[in-house]
Order: sequence, then structure tokens, then C-alpha cells
Amino acid sequence: MDIILLLKSLVGKMELLLIDAVYQGEVKLDNKTLEYLKRYKSIALYAAVQFSSKLENVIKQLEQKGIKVVSSKPARTKEKYQILGCDIYHGNLNLKEDVDAYLHIGDGRFHPLALVLQQRNLKNFKEVVMYDPIAKKMSMLTLKDVEVILKKSKASLKLFLLKKNIGVILTTKPGQQQYLYSLKLKERYPDKEFYYFIDDNINSKNFENFPFIDVWVNTACPRIGLDDAVYVKEPWVNLDEALDAEKRLGEFS
Amino acid sequence: MSSYNLEIERIIRKIKEKKAKYVLLQLPDGLKPEAEKIVQEIQKNTNAISFIWLGDCFGACDIPLGLQQFQIDLIVQFGHNTFIKEFGW
Repeated sequence: MDIILLLKSLVGKMELLLIDAVYQGEVKLDNKTLEYLKRYKSIALYAAVQFSSKLENVIKQLEQKGIKVVSSKPARTKEKYQILGCDIYHGNLNLKEDVDAYLHIGDGRFHPLALVLQQRNLKNFKEVVMYDPIAKKMSMLTLKDVEVILKKSKASLKLFLLKKNIGVILTTKPGQQQYLYSLKLKERYPDKEFYYFIDDNINSKNFENFPFIDVWVNTACPRIGLDDAVYVKEPWVNLDEALDAEKRLGEFS
Repeated sequence: MSSYNLEIERIIRKIKEKKAKYVLLQLPDGLKPEAEKIVQEIQKNTNAISFIWLGDCFGACDIPLGLQQFQIDLIVQFGHNTFIKEFGW
């Protein structure tokens, strides 16, 4: 459901206006980046919303070098080329073609790291090249950049299968609230005890107040159960991984 | 001038069209310093009272609730566009 309609159903007359805050400068690859990308025959191009409507120059530059440019409209976005931080499952990307590499246009690592994480269970990893049009700087991401995250995820999943008392964390944030979906846990694991917790911003410091919980399941933004879980001593998994824990464990190398 | 298009004229148009009295501005960290200018423009051009969300703004999935007690009738969130909620991730 569209977040604007969802909010309307929750709070009635209050309205939501979303401002993309599109970058006003020029979005163009520098020569060094273009030279580097020449090694690839095809590239999947994505950007955060500040840049996703300004990619025409980049597409032209890549095509002039003979590089095929493809993209998609991921499941939760409104526009083609746009990627969200929560696009961490390959299926959600809706990318129909196989590519040699990914190119992300924007500043920061949060969005391009989603392009790495969505490949974590795929056989052939494709390099993620980041180009920051503000700093005019290129850098690369590989699975090495998420190694710590994946190790923690694997260890937490093992414990999830073994342990009995599970804390399920729900958020009040309307776009991230997954209570009904989380009820599948009880169907899938009838022998486990599930305790449901509600918070707005998930603060893992509060975990220590509930020592009877063996493993925590995050149902809010899946980046919390991956990126943030690294900084927490308690085992912490995402809902989707928990629902399919045996299969997901088998996918780790 | 901001490096990003904050669409202040569109916001002012919306406030007037909706006759909004209380507006909440929610900005991601990188755009939070722009709040001063946005509030000033709203004050200059409308009768609405602006509030600024102090906390996080992770995406369009992250809209504050419980604002009825402040009679907020318009939330303006910057840096994100429509998010399509699906069950599961």
C-alpha cells in the first residue's frame, strides 16, 4: 500500500507531502570512472531519489562507451533507477537481466551497500561501483565490506534455531510495521515461545532488561537486523531470515 | 542556496490550499540545517505554525505518529518519495 494512503487511514485528515530534494548540481561521471567502467559490457544503474531523476547524462556517457545500461523499479519505490536502503533481497529489485556490475550514483554508503547485501546469497557476486557526483569520486564495494554483518547474521540464525524464547520487535513506524506477517513465526515454529515488543526507534540497549529472551527477531527495517546487529552482543535476526532459517543458513558459504 | 531542491514554493502552495495551521517538517540528517530557512519562508508566506521533528527520518516508511495532540494537519518530509509498503521484506 502507498504510504500516503496508509497514513491517511491511520490519522484521518492529516496529510503527508513528500519532497524528493533533488540534487541541483550536474550529475556526470568523470573520465577516471568511465575508463574503469569500460571493462564491463553491462551495468545495472541505481541511485537514491536525490539523483535518480537526473541520470540521463550518465546513461549517455556509458552508452557512448558501448556499455549496456539496465535498471528496474524495485518493489517499494515509485520510480525506475531508484533504490532504497531496504532493497536487500535480489527479488525485490525486479531486475530482469543479468549484468556484469552495479553502478550507484549518490553520496554515502547506505544505499550502495543494499546493492551488495542483495547479492549475499547469489552465486556470482557482481562488483558495486559507487560514484559520488558531489565529491566527484569513485569507490568500490565487495562482499568483504559486509563480511562482519554476514558472520553475525549466520551466528544469530544458528542460535535462533536452537533457542526457545524469542523476542519479536515491532515498530510503530507505519511503513515498517509487520505484525501480521510476524505471526507466521508461531505457525512455523510451534515449539518456541514468542514475546512481542513494541517500540518506535529500536534501541538495542533495552535488550538487557529482558534477560529471559534468547534471540531477538527484528520485524522493522531489515537493515536494523543486519547493519545494527553487529554492534549488539545479543543474537538478532531479521524476520525473513528467521522464517526460513534452515534454508538461509545453508546459503552461507 | 541549498544544493538540493527543497520545493519551498510547492510547500507554501500546499499549506495555503489545505489551510494548514500546524505543519511538521521532518528532514533527514543531511538536510536538517535547512530547517531554519524553511521555517522562515513558511512564516513569511503563510499563517501556519511550523514544528521541526528533532529525531530520525529514515525514509517515507518512518512517519511520526501521535501528532494529533499538536493538531498537526500537514507533515512535510524531505529527501524521500512515496514508499510502497509490502508485507515481509
